[in-house]
Amino acid sequence: MDILYLLLPLSVVLVLLILGVLGWSIYRGQFDDLDQEGVRILEQDQDEPTTLP
Amino acid sequence: MSNATTRAAADMAVPETSVHTAGSPAALSELQKAGLDDPAVLQQCQVGPREADGGVPVGLGLSGMYCAACAITIESALKTVPGVRDVQVQGAVQRARLVIDPKRASLSQLVEAVQSIGYQAWPDGAALAQNARMGAQRQLLWRLLVAAFCMMQVMMITTAQYVSGPQDIPPDIWRLMNWACWVLTLPVLVFSCGPFFSGAWAALKSGRIAMDTPVALGIAAMFGVSTGVTMGQTQWVGHDAYFDSLTMFVSFLLFGRWLEGRAREKVSQSLEALCGRLPEAVSRSTQPADAPAVTLNEGACETVALSQLRIGDRVLVAAGQAFPADGQVLQGRTEVDESLLTGESRPVVKQAGHLVVAGSLNLGAPVWSRVERLGPDTRYQQIVNLVHQALTERPGWLRVADRFAGPFLWAVLVLAALGALAWQWIDPSRSLWVAVSVLVVTCPCALSLAAPSALLAAAGALARKGVLVRRLEALETLAIVDLALFDKTGTLTDPQLQLTQVWHQGVVAPVGQGMPASVQSALQSAAGLSLLSQHPVSRALSGFATESAQQAWRDVREQAGQGLQASDAHGQVWRLGSASWVFGSAAAASWPLGRVWWAQMEGEGPSPEPSTVFGFALDEKLRPDANAALLALRSQRVDVQVLSGDQSERVVALVRQMSVTPPVSVAGAAATPEDKLNVLQSAQKQGHVVVAIGDGINDAPVLAKAHSSFALDHGAPLAQSQADFIVLGGKLSGVALAVAVSRQAMGVVRQNLAWAAAYNFVCIPLALAGLLPPWLAGIGMAMSSLLVLLNALRIGR
Repeated sequence: MDILYLLLPLSVVLVLLILGVLGWSIYRGQFDDLDQEGVRILEQDQDEPTTLP
Repeated sequence: MSNATTRAAADMAVPETSVHTAGSPAALSELQKAGLDDPAVLQQCQVGPREADGGVPVGLGLSGMYCAACAITIESALKTVPGVRDVQVQGAVQRARLVIDPKRASLSQLVEAVQSIGYQAWPDGAALAQNARMGAQRQLLWRLLVAAFCMMQVMMITTAQYVSGPQDIPPDIWRLMNWACWVLTLPVLVFSCGPFFSGAWAALKSGRIAMDTPVALGIAAMFGVSTGVTMGQTQWVGHDAYFDSLTMFVSFLLFGRWLEGRAREKVSQSLEALCGRLPEAVSRSTQPADAPAVTLNEGACETVALSQLRIGDRVLVAAGQAFPADGQVLQGRTEVDESLLTGESRPVVKQAGHLVVAGSLNLGAPVWSRVERLGPDTRYQQIVNLVHQALTERPGWLRVADRFAGPFLWAVLVLAALGALAWQWIDPSRSLWVAVSVLVVTCPCALSLAAPSALLAAAGALARKGVLVRRLEALETLAIVDLALFDKTGTLTDPQLQLTQVWHQGVVAPVGQGMPASVQSALQSAAGLSLLSQHPVSRALSGFATESAQQAWRDVREQAGQGLQASDAHGQVWRLGSASWVFGSAAAASWPLGRVWWAQMEGEGPSPEPSTVFGFALDEKLRPDANAALLALRSQRVDVQVLSGDQSERVVALVRQMSVTPPVSVAGAAATPEDKLNVLQSAQKQGHVVVAIGDGINDAPVLAKAHSSFALDHGAPLAQSQADFIVLGGKLSGVALAVAVSRQAMGVVRQNLAWAAAYNFVCIPLALAGLLPPWLAGIGMAMSSLLVLLNALRIGR
């Protein structure tokens, strides 16, 4: 049972970490329009140089 | 419109417009550039403070977007403009937010970049408000997720405690578990509960009591008790910690608020979408106004600002663009999305002779249209004004509900205090516990949400189906109507006349497939000419125009109240109009009455002689959905009667034309407005609850006096009408729909009120008796609010 002394605080820290990631994604606008982010990957990346003419 | 069709439309729209813009009519004129680059405009659409490197965050409004991919396309187009960074296009709200360096990039460059790929953009004056709303909604979601994730983790730990009990877990592990819960609850209390505490504090400062007050008190008490338990002060606060109840309670409340915020955001978005629908710039033909429609071409176009348009201008509306003004299609054939204006979700086919309304969206091919009404006279602007008015007016009973909520909340606080005091004698360790339960379990939300949520949901459901509610209270009376008085002209019948028969050389031919070829071609050429006129008769005829019949009419002359005259391609003169116009006032009496004449004129001078003569007989036609609408009303136990100012034979004929059995009774014919009022008042004296349906203008007194009233919208100035409901697109079935929805809504109001009252009356005594632990009380409160809202959302499904 001693492992609980490690696991309980660890679970708390993990939840706080997950919350941080969630907050970051909310403020990046990923939940504003749920369709848009999925389509983004289909678009050609404009920043990369392309070999096509 | 379904997703698939919008996407297809967008796919079509993009190449169309980019081809069209290749000749660069989308490029801005110097005047427009100067207007856009005015520093005042930049300031107007600025959405935040200037950044350290001089970058200015600005908002742009966009239109022509139909799917998520459009957003990405626009985003990459904006990124190519030098001096622009951090571009974010929000597809759902049709807006872009970006940071520009004012020294290197200008608003006109941004607008041009967006226009060059076939969309429309403008500096968004409402960006700041929208940005603030979006920020608030993001923060609320963040608060909700913090509360929900912490709740889950707290639940995991407390489940272990519940399952095994204190005797199976070593005391130090037990305390560690409590401390873990405490740490997890802290962000919920400090961050997620922010709105409740600030709401309660704001109310306290102004000496009021708000819905947030008992919630904040309950949360604070629960956290205080649980902290005491965690620190081992069990002699003061008992043995139970309530971290699970607290986090769950907060999550439920925030979830409810987040849903509510999303629903509100949708309303304001659709409102702003409606308001920001008109294009900024329009391509206008530079040809003289009397040049025939067939000669219009894209080459002879100039791009002008919307404000420079004049009535009679001929404009080219590209695919994907909104019509800038009410008008008539001159040339081309397309599909138009009128959903915001009429509630009709399918695209409507428009071709030469059809009317288009400002703000409707051209989905198919480019078309030419002639401007007939502009700015405040457009139906679009009238609808926008109506919606604004309906949203800003606060119904009287809502204020009443607020007044009752105050005393109710005081009663709750007093009861909680009394309960705590009484339990000091019975069992001091449970007194706080009881007070918290009372505070948390009472649900004023359910009581005060019962009516507004149902009525707003009903109004929203009706608006989606093309019925605008001008006064929410009117839904209450509409639910109990038992008599419907219909006006005839323009209400039961289509405001547009219908061609029924064609007279030629003494023979009358009904309109249809069996018409002789000579009559057919005469009708088509007359229709081609009538495209050039606005008269109701011309509009009825212009529907018969075919592409080939739009020959080049020259020397077109319109004599007001008389008719049209024009020369055809062979130089022959034709006249269309009344008998006295075609045959001369002396000879007119010898021709049959009630027809519009079309004749080729022989001879020159003031009195030419007609040679080939055709007579067109026009009549009113029943609206296509009139029968169905009346039958639907009857099946809702609403008696249907016709009350008309027209001659009684015509009214009776129309009633016969309707295949409704038993026939609709005629309450009055040839009635003056006073007669109509008398009929209405005698029906009201007999105890009928009457709904009047009219076209909004000549029925104004009846509409105002009836218990409830509908106006059918067909271009009459809406804002002047006094009707409680406005049926867009002239769909009579909207009346029966509104009755059904209002009845459903009042049913839901009664259920909600009964539920809220029963809930509070059962739960408060239970909590006072100490039978309701706070965690159960929290679930009870959240569930009862949610139940009321969900019940309201059923309306109109």
